[in-house]
Formats: sequence, structure tokens, C-alpha cells
Amino acid sequence: MSHALSLRGLTKRYGAFVAVDDVSLEVAAGAFLTLLGPSGSGKTTILMAIAGFLSPDAGTILLDGRDITPLPPERRDFGMVFQGYALFPHMTVAENIAFPLRVRKLGRAERDAKVRAALDLVQLTGLSDRRPMQLSGGQQQRVALARALVFDPALLLLDEPLSALDKKLRAELQEELRALHRRVGRTFVNVTHDQDEALSLSDQVAILNHGRLIQAGAPAALYERPATRFVADFLGKSNFFTAVAEGGRLHVGGIVLAQRDAPPSGAVLLSLRPEKIALLADGQSAANVAEGRILSWQYLGAGFSLVVDTPLGPLRATLPSWRAPIAPAAGLAVRLGWAADAAVAVIEDAA
Amino acid sequence: MTGAYRPGLFSRGLSWATVVYLVLPMTIVLPVSLTDRRFLSLPEHGASLQYYRSFFASPLWLDAMAQSLWIALCSTALAVVTGTLCAIGCWRLSRRSTDLIRALMLLPLIIPSIVYAVGLYRYFAWAGLLDSFVGVTLAHGVTGIPYVVVTVSTALAAFDPRLEQAARGMGASLRQTLAWVILPRIAPGIVSGAIFAFIHSWDELVIVLFIASRNVYTLPRRIWNGINENLDPTMAVVAVLLIVMTLGLLLLDLVLKRRQTG
Amino acid sequence: MRRDAGWWALIAPAFLLLTLVYIAPILQVLAISVLEPSPGLSNYERLFTSESVQRVIVTTLRICTITTAIALGLGYVLAYVIAMASEAARRWWLLAVLVPLWISVLVRAFAWVTLLRRQGVINQGLMGAGIIEEPLALVWNETGIVIGMVHYMVPYAVLPMLAAMREIDPRLLTAARGMGASRGTVFGRVFLPLSLPGVIASGVLVFIFSLGFYITPAILGGGRTLMVAEWIKLQILDLIRWGLGAMMATMLVIAILATLAIFARVVNLRRLFGGGA
Repeated sequence: MSHALSLRGLTKRYGAFVAVDDVSLEVAAGAFLTLLGPSGSGKTTILMAIAGFLSPDAGTILLDGRDITPLPPERRDFGMVFQGYALFPHMTVAENIAFPLRVRKLGRAERDAKVRAALDLVQLTGLSDRRPMQLSGGQQQRVALARALVFDPALLLLDEPLSALDKKLRAELQEELRALHRRVGRTFVNVTHDQDEALSLSDQVAILNHGRLIQAGAPAALYERPATRFVADFLGKSNFFTAVAEGGRLHVGGIVLAQRDAPPSGAVLLSLRPEKIALLADGQSAANVAEGRILSWQYLGAGFSLVVDTPLGPLRATLPSWRAPIAPAAGLAVRLGWAADAAVAVIEDAA
Repeated sequence: MTGAYRPGLFSRGLSWATVVYLVLPMTIVLPVSLTDRRFLSLPEHGASLQYYRSFFASPLWLDAMAQSLWIALCSTALAVVTGTLCAIGCWRLSRRSTDLIRALMLLPLIIPSIVYAVGLYRYFAWAGLLDSFVGVTLAHGVTGIPYVVVTVSTALAAFDPRLEQAARGMGASLRQTLAWVILPRIAPGIVSGAIFAFIHSWDELVIVLFIASRNVYTLPRRIWNGINENLDPTMAVVAVLLIVMTLGLLLLDLVLKRRQTG
Repeated sequence: MRRDAGWWALIAPAFLLLTLVYIAPILQVLAISVLEPSPGLSNYERLFTSESVQRVIVTTLRICTITTAIALGLGYVLAYVIAMASEAARRWWLLAVLVPLWISVLVRAFAWVTLLRRQGVINQGLMGAGIIEEPLALVWNETGIVIGMVHYMVPYAVLPMLAAMREIDPRLLTAARGMGASRGTVFGRVFLPLSLPGVIASGVLVFIFSLGFYITPAILGGGRTLMVAEWIKLQILDLIRWGLGAMMATMLVIAILATLAIFARVVNLRRLFGGGA
């Protein structure tokens, strides 16, 4: 009962400003897609276009191959969790959840049964007579989910569903949302600017910037093989340095790099994740070694974050704090090492 | 700003004087309405209800009151229905053209009623609506729209537009969204607008002076004639009743608003 | 857009009603002013040639200016006191300002007549107390008109100024005092300039409302002091001079719209008339 969604060449302009620029995307039936990007990247505009709240200037939106672009929102068959939830304050929890059923003129008995099932689904049994104002943020979010799912929509759209919650609750609800997706097996489209949320929730992440789709793929693929500098930087942290290939060898800052799949010639921008850099003990070696002194360091609980001044420029590295081999201090001389397949060649983003 | 800047003696004195000037003159009609003398004055030997009796025994006054009430009720209904829908449409579409329309709706507040009355006199003569219940109701209704548009727009400004989107997204039609989501939320604004539109019609004189003659004789016209012809203490009785009625309506508005926020 | 058709349909009834029952009659007034008694601008020539026309305009402008000045003065002080009052006191002050606003104009004019006429409560009281020998001429002249009009306008003057004053961040005043400014300096250099937009808004509102005022001047002027609104009524209902009356009505509308247009930059008109957001 799940449905596939595809966007073809979606474009939305506001005067001279291009909010969404020729975005094409395929979402498999039953997948959990997250549109991820900074504010102003066009992610919400895309969601609103899928919902039908705004009409694109160009492009089509297909649901199971059927063009739904000209349909008004009420004929598109999606459930939506709005930013801030948009629960009707003058209705009880049950009335809120029953709303889409009432609209569809379902009978009383069927309505009550579905509302009860939806409340069970989000584990809010017993709260049906409360008003939204009397619920906690997490409970409101669950009511919004129940209301969005109660009428078995083809799609579930989520507009920053967790942004109003505090950090701990957010982590909890991320897990629940993930489980819920598995249970109901529908196609979810989520919008967020939170990279952790995107990585932990989704089967598929689409990274947007300035209205353009930069890269889409499974979370691990995006994290491990970012295509551009923006992706590498926006998903997690990364060190960047430009190396020059000459005669089959990569040079940077007077060091010869061992790099897998290095281009034969020309300059290449490399992205190197801090957690892939190891602190080498005396006598230990690695495919790539850079020596330097600690410029600054931070204690982060689970680990340390070091910035080391090396011939390649300042490099950020992390090391676990439990039984750390060194006690970090500014000016301390250290040796950093990383494997030949640790760094990834990325391209510079167009301005 | 509480406390930090207690205004000086002069400011407070002048403010009290201004408030006395605003409120006191109107209270004079109460003792005057109880006068035991034959002309407009304070009671001499004691309060008397004779002019209240003569008011309630006068078919002229009672008939005028009934006419005013009917016209006010019908014109309020007209203003509330059209004004509310218009404010909702303008709010939802929210673009340059609808801002202009909303500004147009406020014209009756800005343009003096004398200008409108003059125009209407000719216009209704041509349309055959002079001195008719329908004509006065239309005129009061259209001039009552701004009060409704203003109060409903204010209520809508506090209405989360995502609730409307949510309703539409869940498949609700425009009619269902209006009836189940928008109207219940802005009801207090609509009631305020209705109260103000009612008071507007109930008190309106200038338009009636031009477009009504024998058939339509509203309370304000009766008072106007009374003031110009014979300043009889029954007038003070009418004034007291009008003030009480207005205060009652304002109180109602206040209670409804408080219940909404409370 | 087709998708918005339903929302436009909500606007339509009010728009049609306004166009057919409000705007059309007003446009007709404009038309009459150039068509009757004969097509042309002859009615408007009277603005320059007729002494009685000019007298009415001058009287109206004089009374409106005096009314606006007094209403602004009283209103400013009142708004200042209300803005500085505690939450509970403010509610009572506002009640005292808002209730008169909604009491029938006719009732108010009647109350003033009761108080101010020769045999009225004030003159009787003063004579009874032996303070005056002859009753004072308080009504059926310009004094009476101004007393009644200011009474009507003070609430309209208070509201926009109060709104502007309440937007002033009280920390600014505390900060200015903290930097060593005296009360007078804080008021003159900080509070007054910040509240000025409200003063202008109030001024515009009171002035344009005064220009077309009919009931209060008609009753309290006793037919002796004519302002434009009553003059228009006289021309049309009593003298049947439609062209002249319509010309003055047109001038009135032009004067009001011009005042609004001039101050549109300074004053947020939408807020003045409470157009929502």
C-alpha cells in the first residue's frame, strides 16, 4: 500500500529569486526520504510543492507515475506533520485525529475505531479528551503524527517535526519515528536542517543548497563519499586541503600523499574526516603521516577534538578521551596518520 | 513602564480633568431624566419617574425603537456575513490586490457620512429605495462592514495559517475548513465586529436624515427632531436608555473577550 | 489562479455590496458636482468667487484646527499617564476613554445642550451660587461646537498616541536616567521624539474626522455657525442646489484623501484603522 514519489525538474521562483532550481528526485515506495539543507535551501518549498500549498513554475510531481501537479492539496492524499504541529486548539486530541475522517464523511463507529487505533499507534491511549494545550511537546508531536496517519494517506510529509523539542526528547522521538515508519510501511518525506536527524532517520537523504539538489543517496554513502565540499562540510565535520597530482604522485605542503584513486594530474580537493585521523604513537606508522603541534583543543566528553598545525595546514582530529594516549596541551608535538582510503576527493561547489 | 516614571502632578491633574470632561457630561442625563419639572432641568423636589412612564406609554418612541432595532439587527447580519467572509478571503490570499480591497472596505470610516448620504439620496431615489426599510438596512449594512473587517482581520492576525493548511491538507474543502477550523477560532472577533456594527446602525443619524421620511422613523431621527423642536425631559429618558444599551453591549464584548483569553 | 477561486468568492459579496451601494453613490456625488446645474466647472469657480463659500471653508478649517490642537494636547497628557500607569490602573483609564467613544453622538450632543444652554445646568448652577449675573453664552456658537467636538475627538486622539507610547522600550528611559539625564531631558530628548509618530497619526485622524463632522456642530452650533457638513445639507435639502452641495462634498473628500496621502509616509494608515496584522 505504499507509493513511489518522483519529482521532475521542479522549479519555483519568487521574482528574481530562485527558491527551487530544477530539482529531480526519485523516492521509492515505502522509503524514508529526508530533504536536508540550511535555511533558504528550498527544502521547505519542495515539501510545500509536494503538498500542493504552492504551485511550481516548472516541473512535475508524480505519485506512482500519476501527475498530481495540478491537484489542489485536499485531493493529493497525503498526511502532514507541520512545523509546530498545527493542532486545532479548539478541538480535543480525539477530535483533532478524527478531523480527516470527518472530512471524508466516515461513519461514527468507523471513525471512533480508527481514532483509537491511531492513538494506540502513537502510544497516547487515554489522552483522547485532552486539548492540545494540555499536552507536552512530545505528546503534541505524537498527536500530529496520529492525525497525519489516521486516514491511511499515500504519503506522510514531515516539516521539521522535531525542531520544537529539546535535545533529549528529540533523540527519543527519532527512534520512535523510525520504528513508526517500519510499522506503517508508508513513504515518508521529511524536511530538516538537522544532520543528525537526517542520518539517523532516513533511508535516503537529499542535500539541498541555494535551491539546488547537491547530492542524494543513502546516509552512509553521503557521509563516506560526499560529492562536493558543501556535502562533506554540512554532513559532519571535515578537513579540506588541495593536493596537486604530478607524475602519478599527490603533493601537498611538501608532503607526498598516499591516496587511493588519485587522479594522474591536476589539482584535487580532498576531504578528510577528523575521526579518520589517528594519533600515532612513537614507532607507529601509517600510509600518510603529518607532524605538527597542537594549536588548540577541546574536551567533548566522549573524546577530544584537536586542531594540529601541520605542513598541510591546520588539521582537526578527534581521539577518544577514555585512556587517551596523550594529555592534550597547546604546543604539544604530535604525529597524525591516516590511511590511503581515508580522504575523499570532492569538488568545489559552484557559487 | 510601571512605576519607574510616575507622571508629575500637572499631568495627573490634567488627565483626571480630561476624564471627568469625557465621562461626566453624559451622566447628567440620568438626574435630568428623573426631573419632576416640566422642562429639561435637575429635579427640584425629588426624583420622579413620570417621563419614563410617558416614554413607555408613547407609541411614537416605542415604534421608533422597534424600527431601529429591526434595522440594526438586519444591517448587522448583512455587515457580519459579508465583512467576515471578505476579511477571511483577504487574509488568506494576502497580496497587493487584496490589501487594496481591504483598504476600500475601510472607506466608510474615512469618508464623512454627509457625503455618502448626499450621494445615496439621489441614488436611492433612482433605485426606488428612499424611505424604505430595505434601503436603510443596505446603507447601514455597507457602512457597518469596516467594523467587522477590522475586528475579524485582527482576530485572523493571531490565527496560525498552518491550521488552515493542515485542514486543507487533510482533505477538507473550503466550506469545511471555514466551518470547522477558521470560524470557531475567530468567533470572538466576529462577535466584536457584530456589536460595533450594531451600535453603528443603532446610533446612525446622518444617512437616515437624507434617505428616510415618513415610513422609516428611527430612534436617532426621533431624538434629532426632539432636540430641534421641543427639549422635553422625555429626551433625557431616551438618552439614558441608549447609554444603558451601549454600556450593556460593550460589557458583553468585554465578557466574551475575557472568556476567550481566560 | 484557479486554486484561489474559492477565496476570491468569499470577497465577492462584500466587494459587490460596497461597489453598488457605497462607491457608486459617492461617484455620483463627484459627477453631480461637474454636471449640475450645467456641465462644467462653474460650481468650483464659486470657491474663488463666493464669499459665503469661502467663509464656510475658513470657519471649518478654524474650528477643526482648534479642535485638533486641544484634543491632541489633552490626549497626549492622558495617553502619557495611561502609558505610565500600572496594569490595573490602565484598564480603568482605558475604560474611561473607550466608553464615551461608543456612546451615541446624538446623546452626547443632547447632554451638552442640557448642560450648556442658557437655562442649562451649568448656568443655573453658577447663577444660583451667585458667581454670575447673566447666563454665559456657552452653546449655539463656536465655543459650544469646540466643547462638543473636542469631547468627541479626545478618545480618537488618545488611542494612536497610546499605541505609539506603549511601543517605547521603558529600558530606554531608565538607561537615559542612568546616564545622568534629568526627568525633563529624558522626556524632551527620548520620550517625546519616540512618541511623535503617534502624535502625527492622532492629529491626522482627529483632523479628518473633524472636517466632515455633522451632528455635533449642527446641534451645538444652533444653525448660527456653519461648518461644511451642515452647509452641504442646507444646499441640498433646503435650497435644492445640488451642484454646489456636491462640489463641497467633493472638496471634502479630496481634502480628506489628500491629508491621508500626505501623511501616508509618516503614518501607518493600516494601523490607524486597524487593518489587521
